[in-house]
Amino acid sequence: MILVEAGECSERSHDAKVLFALQLARRGYAVAIDDKGIPQALDRNQKFEIAPLLVEIPPEALTHLVIIGAENIDNETLLRLRDHALGPKVKIFCVGRFADLQALVGSRAKIAYALGREPQMLDLTDAEIKPLMDGTVAPLMAVGSSERPPSAVPQLFVYLPPEMLDEPMTLPILGAMDQLAGFRLNLIVTGKSKEQIRATRHEYLSVFSYTEISLTALADMADIVVFFGDSVPGEKMAALALDMMRSSKVVIDGTTRAALVSRGAPALRGPQDLAALPNYLDQTVLVNCAEIGRQAGISAWLKNHAIERLEQRLGLTPPDGPGPAKRKAKTLFVPTNGNGLGHAQRCTLIAAAMENPSDCAFAAFKSCVSLVASKGFAALPLVQRSDEHPEEFANDLLNYLRLQRSLRRGDRLVFDGGYVFDSIYRTIMEKGLEAYWIRRGLWQAGQMSPVSLDRQKAFRRVIVPDEAFGELNAAPGWESNVFHVGPIVQQLPVKSRGPARLKDRLRRHLNVEFDELVVTMLGGGVAADRSAQLQTLCNLFERRASCLHLILVWPGSKVHPGVYAWKNSRAVQTKNALALCQAADLVISAAGYNSFHEILFHGIPAIFVPQMAAYMDDQERRALAASERGLSGTILASEMLLLEREVAAFLDGGKAAEIRRNLKKAELPQPGNRAAAQLIEGLCDG
Amino acid sequence: MGQRPSIAYVIDPRFPGGTSSAIAQELRVTSRMADVTVHAVASQMFSGTDIAPQLKRTLADLGLNVIWDRPAIAADMVVIHNPTFLKFQKTWNARIIARQVVVVTHENFLRPGRIEAFDVASCLGLIDRCAFALRKTIAPISAYNRRTVSDWLAQNPVCQWNVLARDWFNICDFPILAPNRSPRDRRGRHSRPGFEKFPALEDMDRCFPDHAARNVILGGDTYLETGPQRPHWEIHSFRAIEIADYFAMIDFMVYFTAPTWRESFGRVLAEAIAAGKVVISDAGTASAFGQAVVAAKPSEVDAIIGHFVAHPAEYRRHVLKAQARLADFSAQAFGKMLQEVLSAPVGVAA
Repeated sequence: MILVEAGECSERSHDAKVLFALQLARRGYAVAIDDKGIPQALDRNQKFEIAPLLVEIPPEALTHLVIIGAENIDNETLLRLRDHALGPKVKIFCVGRFADLQALVGSRAKIAYALGREPQMLDLTDAEIKPLMDGTVAPLMAVGSSERPPSAVPQLFVYLPPEMLDEPMTLPILGAMDQLAGFRLNLIVTGKSKEQIRATRHEYLSVFSYTEISLTALADMADIVVFFGDSVPGEKMAALALDMMRSSKVVIDGTTRAALVSRGAPALRGPQDLAALPNYLDQTVLVNCAEIGRQAGISAWLKNHAIERLEQRLGLTPPDGPGPAKRKAKTLFVPTNGNGLGHAQRCTLIAAAMENPSDCAFAAFKSCVSLVASKGFAALPLVQRSDEHPEEFANDLLNYLRLQRSLRRGDRLVFDGGYVFDSIYRTIMEKGLEAYWIRRGLWQAGQMSPVSLDRQKAFRRVIVPDEAFGELNAAPGWESNVFHVGPIVQQLPVKSRGPARLKDRLRRHLNVEFDELVVTMLGGGVAADRSAQLQTLCNLFERRASCLHLILVWPGSKVHPGVYAWKNSRAVQTKNALALCQAADLVISAAGYNSFHEILFHGIPAIFVPQMAAYMDDQERRALAASERGLSGTILASEMLLLEREVAAFLDGGKAAEIRRNLKKAELPQPGNRAAAQLIEGLCDG
Repeated sequence: MGQRPSIAYVIDPRFPGGTSSAIAQELRVTSRMADVTVHAVASQMFSGTDIAPQLKRTLADLGLNVIWDRPAIAADMVVIHNPTFLKFQKTWNARIIARQVVVVTHENFLRPGRIEAFDVASCLGLIDRCAFALRKTIAPISAYNRRTVSDWLAQNPVCQWNVLARDWFNICDFPILAPNRSPRDRRGRHSRPGFEKFPALEDMDRCFPDHAARNVILGGDTYLETGPQRPHWEIHSFRAIEIADYFAMIDFMVYFTAPTWRESFGRVLAEAIAAGKVVISDAGTASAFGQAVVAAKPSEVDAIIGHFVAHPAEYRRHVLKAQARLADFSAQAFGKMLQEVLSAPVGVAA
């Protein structure tokens, strides 16, 4: 294992350290960073970036200590170095660009004093070979990206300095470029600039802040990168340029100082004017991409900046072992949000509809693991957010590490949820996964987070499971990667004797006699406290002789103790709610996507009591759409006094039978389970 | 020379430690023997103009003015103390004219393992280019320091410098105190807080164990900042307490440095001997003082201290003998050495 340190304890040095460590990791080395050397004020992106590098280092596993930026050594770093108990076999290297011999011997001495051992000095200064940038902390070596074949439509990444966005024509030009078919436009900007763009009418542009994903992911995605501004904007972007060149991709130097070309780097000297870029790309670059890349690949300058040269001097040989054990590519379903039961259920239905369900696995919150397991799928547990965590995204950091370890290039990730967490977004981008987003519609106004919409670009396809009724579905937009499928719904066979047998079993099992069975499923209680409504229902059914009222909850869910006081009401933890609903004379249910559609598609008479919260789907619209068609009853939260009348109408007034008849005649859309699975398998184009 | 010779000192008077202490002591001797001027160089090694306090006191006592950055310096003998002050400079705009130029090497040219300690060639080169003299001499300050100079010169034959045959040692005129008649296992060490001054933590633990009656570490600033938790160590930052108070707390001075560095002279050891303490150090550092310092490894310290505590008479005998050895580093001895240097014929250009 290689421990990477930097001479100075600063945010800049930290970034360089992470950059270099990740480059080594890409070469296959086990690399670590000392958590004690992390600056206090790291932002969220920096924490995600460094998380995989913070590992326990068993003393016997450490083989190399590499100190970069060793020309500037501060006391804080020396104090930490002194505390490293390095075994005698650990090789110590100090890498830097030393201004003169005194700088070298001075740094060497300081480190030797702190460590009590002599380091080997590695001076990168070479009068003949200019580095891409001056004053860098990281050694800045070309590693290259994955061997992904060039995109059919080249992915163009344009780095724009903040000042260019102040020019009034910049965004209109980019807007026009975004419509050109010869390439797919992406922008790389600062986080602030990204916000700025998002607030304009050009918010549809594909924009990356240069800390939101790793350098590796950027280099893998891009086929062409263009730099504007005065010079190369920092070490990460310089490393991107080097990796692109190394991968025989096109780097265009549009900087005013010819920052790349003047150093001898095999970049194209492109226009400094953004307006000239489209024609330059069209006339010069796109027609010659392969040759430009080939020339970059054979450049002597680039060879001198290849990571192999540094490896040789460090005495490192990339591990050429067998690597991770070979396994079939898998499809990982990641349902999230709240308890996540609805998302998880939907995912299991799609996974079951895949050609090879055995190639599917899940990563799910604890609350969903048993559901997933009950459907026959393995589940990697994810960590739910907690107020006990030191940061609101602490759980997501852990989930990121778990997803990173679980997935590899070639796997698929299917996400079902409303908010695309950093863990999911980064994993998709950094592993180059083929990703799909199952995104149920019927959002309430303003509910969809701008962050999530921005992250839609990470997904190959967005699959929207439709609602049963047309007016609830959004009109198809202009986005080419959004596909609609029929409702994703569980389908149980209807057995004519099934309900009667189930009722008999209930009588025996619960040792009660009843003539009518009512099932209540008001939801998990994440969105709202349903205990008052439950008490109302229990009271109501207590007054009905010969009624069994089952309150269904998912195993492990909390049940309000008040419900146990009623004779006719029983709380039942079950994974098989639909079968009980099929046997019921009446179901009283929230109008969540899954239960709503299961009830409709199985012809079950139901009164919907929509669960409403600002962050949920619009259950009220969904419920009313059914009841207005005579396919159910709907009682809103504000109308609970009407519930008794509605129950009587269903059970005593013949409404249940009428609803059953209506549902039998209703023309509901074809379920979309298989269509969604086929979209994921790439078997159909939607 | 029939008349009082002139000696010009060329120094950066801002060195905080042993160099300035040594120069201060030396000036008291040389100013009696010659007409002394003190030229200060504001090198790039330090910022500000704060003269080291010990030097400032001596200059005031002797009525000597410091002349800052005079471009031309002329004297019979120009003594340049500690040439490392030039190590960060590419140029030095001085003109030195002298019968002989003596460069006193307060810092070893090589570290253990024969690794260059600073850019020696650059420092000597700057002096060489600035000085017009009949002889240019390097003056080592101890046997160990001499060895690093000779080894460096052997590795760099292009540098044609004479090496003074006798050591230009640090004057150790510390007040002599009687040893404790009933020594206890009270240990201590003092130094500047630099990393080079301290051995590895495991050796510090061997030297200052929790079973000792006292472990006083003066100059342990870095341990105060983030260091290991050692409740049995009494750590004081550099100059936080008076040196006399520190010596009153201990009976044994246990002094080991980083294995990658070595004292060129070891004034702190002489200071402790004069204060009546048994001093224990590594063999290389101890060698400057012959038998006066007990040469040992950290693993042997416990046994040595245990022996002396058990045999107070031996403790006393050792200290008195060691203090007698300090006469070799007296002002008188230095004066004699300087007289020989001044009266040696200087007739061949260097």
